[in-house]
Amino acid sequence: MEQLISGFKQIAPSIPYIINGIWVTLGIALGAAIIGFVLGTLLSLCKISNVKLLNGFARGYTSIFRGTPLIMQLALAYFAIPQLLGLGDVNATAVAIITLGLNSGAYMSEIIRSGINAVDKGQFEAAGALGVGYWPMMKDIILPQAIKNILPAMMNEFITLTKDSALVSTITVTEMMRRSQIVSAEYYMYFPPMLVAFLMYYLVVLLLTFIGGHIERRLGRSDQN
Amino acid sequence: MIKTEHIVKNFGNIKVLKDVSLQINQGEVVVVIGPSGSGKSTFLRCINLLERPTSGTVMVDEHNMTAMNLKQVTKVREKVGMVFQHFYLFPHKTVLENLIYAPMKVKGLSKDDAVKKAEELLNKVGLLDKKDQYPNKLSGGQKQRVAIARALAMEPDYMLFDEPTSALDPEMVKEVLDVIQSLAESGMTMIIVTHEMGFAKQVADKVVFMDDGRILESNTPETFFSNPSTERAQDFLEKIL
Repeated sequence: MEQLISGFKQIAPSIPYIINGIWVTLGIALGAAIIGFVLGTLLSLCKISNVKLLNGFARGYTSIFRGTPLIMQLALAYFAIPQLLGLGDVNATAVAIITLGLNSGAYMSEIIRSGINAVDKGQFEAAGALGVGYWPMMKDIILPQAIKNILPAMMNEFITLTKDSALVSTITVTEMMRRSQIVSAEYYMYFPPMLVAFLMYYLVVLLLTFIGGHIERRLGRSDQN
Repeated sequence: MIKTEHIVKNFGNIKVLKDVSLQINQGEVVVVIGPSGSGKSTFLRCINLLERPTSGTVMVDEHNMTAMNLKQVTKVREKVGMVFQHFYLFPHKTVLENLIYAPMKVKGLSKDDAVKKAEELLNKVGLLDKKDQYPNKLSGGQKQRVAIARALAMEPDYMLFDEPTSALDPEMVKEVLDVIQSLAESGMTMIIVTHEMGFAKQVADKVVFMDDGRILESNTPETFFSNPSTERAQDFLEKIL
């Protein structure tokens, strides 16, 4: 115990460095979530479309991204592809955000598709009967209702992204996980820096869960009787 | 004028409509009655192509709906309002937003104009005080009146009613029928699928009796209700009156 306390004392100057890594972590998660949401929406529309080509593309895309490890996809995007294309040094953070976003899009598309399917068919008909075209109907009538249904699942996806973003430490991005490793190596002491990052992750996830519940209650207002 | 010619509609192997032809003239109120499963609702839904007929043609004015793609059909639908059995109000929009959405989005009305028109219509159906409520705060009868106002906000030339009172509690039927009746008196061209025989007698210019995917009788309400010519219609009326 004494050893542990003295360990924390030793790394104390580096604790803010680790904790501030959460901003990198959250930035990556948020960027990836935005890409994932836009992509997931488009893919989900492809999945419910009657056009076979779009349908097949979306299914194939989802299958590949869900069927391979994320850490593998990251390595491929950061190490393999740039070498293949002769790109030289690429921006690791940008690659991290894009790859996580592409990956999340696959999961998000399934969530959104199920949300769209849960919207009453009559809503499509009512909009159609009023002469509302496909895109405005989707944007203004169907997706708002679909997203409300799947908000808990989307918040979960964002939380998953926040946690999965620790994997981008493997492609040199100095987010929170990576920072705890750097500090560990510097002091040759693993427990205190890792515990700091560990607790910080948990705290942030709890906070996100709380915010998710709050938003859900607010959006549920039109459901109250 | 709406004109359907030889409409056939199959769902897989099930033949729901077997050669239905009908003409609805300007200002006419046509009430379609018949037993459940006779194809009344499917027929109605074929008129604005919510169901695409397997064969046959649907003409709305000069537009051949059955020869059009979805985009063209959507354009013609602006002229054909529809009211559903289960209302299908947009639950995430207030009553007023339900009414102004399509006029603004589809017809490009300014918000001021759309709101003015919507408030007029809500006043007409007696629900102006509910304009800022969400649909789930309304009773069934109120929802249906809002749905009628929403359809009218597009200033359609025709109105289709698909069993507008079938999902309502009995004490709410009248408030909805009153609205439809005043609409009929204003000269709106309408096709109404209903089980309300008294109402049919009152508002119809023409009663159409359907059974098993066909129109068996098409007559004035006086003749139809007092002296139906087919045995099937006599049988039907006997059972429900």
